[in-house]
Amino acid sequence: MPQLDFNGTDQLLPILAQVARFLLPILALVVLFRCVRSMLSGRADPETWGYLVTPQGEVHPLQHWECIIGRAKSSDVRLPYEDVASVHAVVTRNDKGDWHVTDLSRGGGVFLNGKKVEEPEQLVDGDIIRCTKHMVKFATNSEQHRALQEKKRAVAGWKIHSGTTLFFLTLMQLLIMLQFFVSAKEEYRFQTMLAFFALILIEWLCYLLMRTMDRSGFEPETIAFFLCTLGLCICATATPGELVRHVVLLLASVLLFFLFGWWLRDLNHVKALRWPAAILSLMLLVLNLAAAREVFGARNWITVAGFSIQPSELIKVAFIYVGATTLEHMFRSRSIFYFIGFSAVCVGGLALMGDMGAALVFFATFLIIAFLRSGSFATVFLAIGGAVMAGMLVLSIKPYVAQRFMTWGHVWEDVNGAGYQQTRALSAAASGGLFGQGAGNGWLKNIVAANTDMVFAMLCEELGLIIAVFAALAIVALAIFTVKNAARNRSSYYVIAGCAAVTMMMVQMALNVFGSLDILPFTGVTFPFVSRGGSSMLSCWMLLSYIKAADTRRGGSFVVKSGAKSRGEDDA
Amino acid sequence: MNKVKHRAMSALIVAALIIVGLGVYIVRYLENGAKWATFAVGGYTSGVVSMGTIVDRNGVVLANADGSSRTYADDWSVRRACYHAVGDYSGNVGTGALSSFAAQLAGYNPITGTYARGGREVKLTIDSRLCVTAQEALAGRKGAVLLSNYRTGEILCMTSNPTTDPADSSAEIADGTYLNRCISVSYTPGSVFKLITSAAAIENLPDLSQQTFTCWGSMDVAGVTINCTGSHGEQTFEEALANSCNVAFANISLQLGGDTLERYVYDYGFTRTHKLDDIVTAGGSFTKDNPGTPGLAWSGIGQFEDAICPYSMLRYVSAIASNGILQEPTLLVGKNNGSANLMQSSTANKLRDMMSYNVQAHYGAWNFPGLNLCAKTGTAEVGDGTSHAWFTGFLLDEAHPYAFVVIVENAGAGITAAAPVANAVLQAAVNG
Ligand SMILES: [Zn+2]
Repeated sequence: MPQLDFNGTDQLLPILAQVARFLLPILALVVLFRCVRSMLSGRADPETWGYLVTPQGEVHPLQHWECIIGRAKSSDVRLPYEDVASVHAVVTRNDKGDWHVTDLSRGGGVFLNGKKVEEPEQLVDGDIIRCTKHMVKFATNSEQHRALQEKKRAVAGWKIHSGTTLFFLTLMQLLIMLQFFVSAKEEYRFQTMLAFFALILIEWLCYLLMRTMDRSGFEPETIAFFLCTLGLCICATATPGELVRHVVLLLASVLLFFLFGWWLRDLNHVKALRWPAAILSLMLLVLNLAAAREVFGARNWITVAGFSIQPSELIKVAFIYVGATTLEHMFRSRSIFYFIGFSAVCVGGLALMGDMGAALVFFATFLIIAFLRSGSFATVFLAIGGAVMAGMLVLSIKPYVAQRFMTWGHVWEDVNGAGYQQTRALSAAASGGLFGQGAGNGWLKNIVAANTDMVFAMLCEELGLIIAVFAALAIVALAIFTVKNAARNRSSYYVIAGCAAVTMMMVQMALNVFGSLDILPFTGVTFPFVSRGGSSMLSCWMLLSYIKAADTRRGGSFVVKSGAKSRGEDDA
Repeated sequence: MNKVKHRAMSALIVAALIIVGLGVYIVRYLENGAKWATFAVGGYTSGVVSMGTIVDRNGVVLANADGSSRTYADDWSVRRACYHAVGDYSGNVGTGALSSFAAQLAGYNPITGTYARGGREVKLTIDSRLCVTAQEALAGRKGAVLLSNYRTGEILCMTSNPTTDPADSSAEIADGTYLNRCISVSYTPGSVFKLITSAAAIENLPDLSQQTFTCWGSMDVAGVTINCTGSHGEQTFEEALANSCNVAFANISLQLGGDTLERYVYDYGFTRTHKLDDIVTAGGSFTKDNPGTPGLAWSGIGQFEDAICPYSMLRYVSAIASNGILQEPTLLVGKNNGSANLMQSSTANKLRDMMSYNVQAHYGAWNFPGLNLCAKTGTAEVGDGTSHAWFTGFLLDEAHPYAFVVIVENAGAGITAAAPVANAVLQAAVNG
């Protein structure tokens, strides 16, 4: 224990810091449990935007902004007749509240009030849509009626108050501060305390901002702040000199989260910038490839005006931005081939740079987007086949990548060579037990890349296995939340983007955690929100915007415009 | 939208894989956590921890470390005598307590990890005073001395020579110093092997008590002469063991056959490795030869290609001493490694009586004053004209239930070279 010169406190504080070791997992459990319960137990009330009524009097509510009419069982409005195509037409609503109908039948024919639909046609209340010879009447949901329905929907966080959850998280942060107060070097003690205070301030300001926007869903942010707390621990113990930089980056990331989320609110904005985003990504990639002089292993950063940026992190956000699509677009165009091409260039470029981890993350994200868009396993398998071949090529070109695969599962046979990092990680992780050695008390931080590639082991060592496992489960909770929200989303764009974002986070986390623990080959990617890295922090918070965009609970998310008021007015 | 929302479930596959992965890690953590954690505190390579204290059964400190300083026993002779049991902080003795009990020394457990940074005390069952006595009795000769309590399994004496003083970094290290000859080396057993052949004979030759074995100093097996140590004339089975008559045991081996001998050697644990707490001991070897061959005859006499570890012999005589039931040995005070029925109790009792007869009729009880001893000598020819001297057995004394194995390398006959060493250690153990 470090020597403290405070009269009377030199005995008490270390003892309290020791007690904190056991309180931290309990608080983490409370925070996580409250978030998960609030996210998963709320009633999944759909929004109803209009109706399609058949001549037989069947009423089909339109619960999304994109609804498929067709023979297929999975259609939103099912017309089970032989002459109707399985995906026959789509009715879509835009941000202004205008509805359109589009023919997707390729020859079967869609007629609006008797006139054949060639281009998307606007719908008004009472219009008759005819698919071959089967008719449905379109009816909008009146504003008053919808406001009434909206009132009945469960409010996000009505059962479990987000503020209370955040209060428990703050308690956890205060206990960690106490531990650092005891363990931190004299010269960094003040900075460390200040950094944690800043974190607490940022999270409460965020919360208050949400409340002023009349949004009560704060669980994804709370989970992100929980992970950022762990990230700050890693920074405080491994690189205390970078604390100020870390907090500034966190602040910037949170601001970007709001800005990007605000941008995502309007799908017309989003659509307008898809091509520019794709082109910008490719340019960044080329720039990186050109600038990358190979050091050992991967060279995946460029230095701009003294700041080192990892283009692959920023391309992650753009990749999803480009890859996600609306239903209408999905069935109408051959855009998936452009996307496959774009993905191949991204994955190939990263592989060429030797950034195997990032290439894998992109590839997994590509798979999920391709599956969500096509629903076809054939496409997915084709992609896997291509990737395996490309992978073989990379393995043959880059001997150190192949070597990592050779080491996999044999780290204890070469503890001072190929298995150096993993054996240290396992060892440190085990020495932490369930409750850890206390924040700041580990030794793994002295090993190269511990604060990026081996953060899970650092968490195990200093905060204990329980908190480390909670950190991994927190990401899984975000994923389950997003998948659950898919059922009541307005546009498939948000479903695809949300699912792609959580998949990206999960794959990255899995490669990071299991790579350092010798359960998977060691690829050297970052743990979302926790690992050191400014670009990574920025991209993680932007990915969180996608998750927020998929949260359509009443008052759930600032990214989703309130359902009660409409016609483009912003209620925020 | 319905289509997409069902497809969204595919993201849960990754979630499920993560949960599985975490499960795999937790299982591995529970299995290997101690090994992983002590690797770290061991300064990465040697597997020795720089924390905790090792004491002998009487509380004599054998090694102590508190992170910065590392010390050994105060007494020079204790440091040398207990060198192999304790090991050193450089990790040279892989089977030493410093390496083998690193997890206990580090205070590791899966709940709190190594948070108890002060380290813990590990109390060994050995008596450093007995080790010193044994080392003195070896008088510089290469060899090993093992003595245990066959009721509790506690090993009271475990010493090996050549040895060194771990506190003296400039000490000259003789070849083989880092090997603990008690547990890590297998030797040609010579006549102590006849205890195993005897057990097989008792259980497999129904007319054994009617058989007599005539020895005129040698016999011929398929054209090869099997020499005996003397000309023993006509003997019973009991007398043949007491005489350690090669002619008689060659005859018995040929009657038993290679398969039977091999089965007994395996069943009694001589060809297998064992776990002494977490320390893996050396296995032995036994090659069976065809019926009627001189190889088969020699293999039952403890020559041919036989090799056994002293530790395996300690287990065997411990079982004979307590009606065939083996209390597995341990080096940790308070630890019980369980017991097993190694042999039929009637066989064990028969062997016990014969080993008692050996001492009374041939070795001379006056050589072991005050001890109710049952034993067997061995003089194993090692091919270079010299012999390893063996002496193994136990005390029939409920107050002092000790089993022992002594081997002195290239020292001549068991009765003259090894038996006095055993006597010295037993006298010290019994009389204090
Ligand atoms: Zn004879």
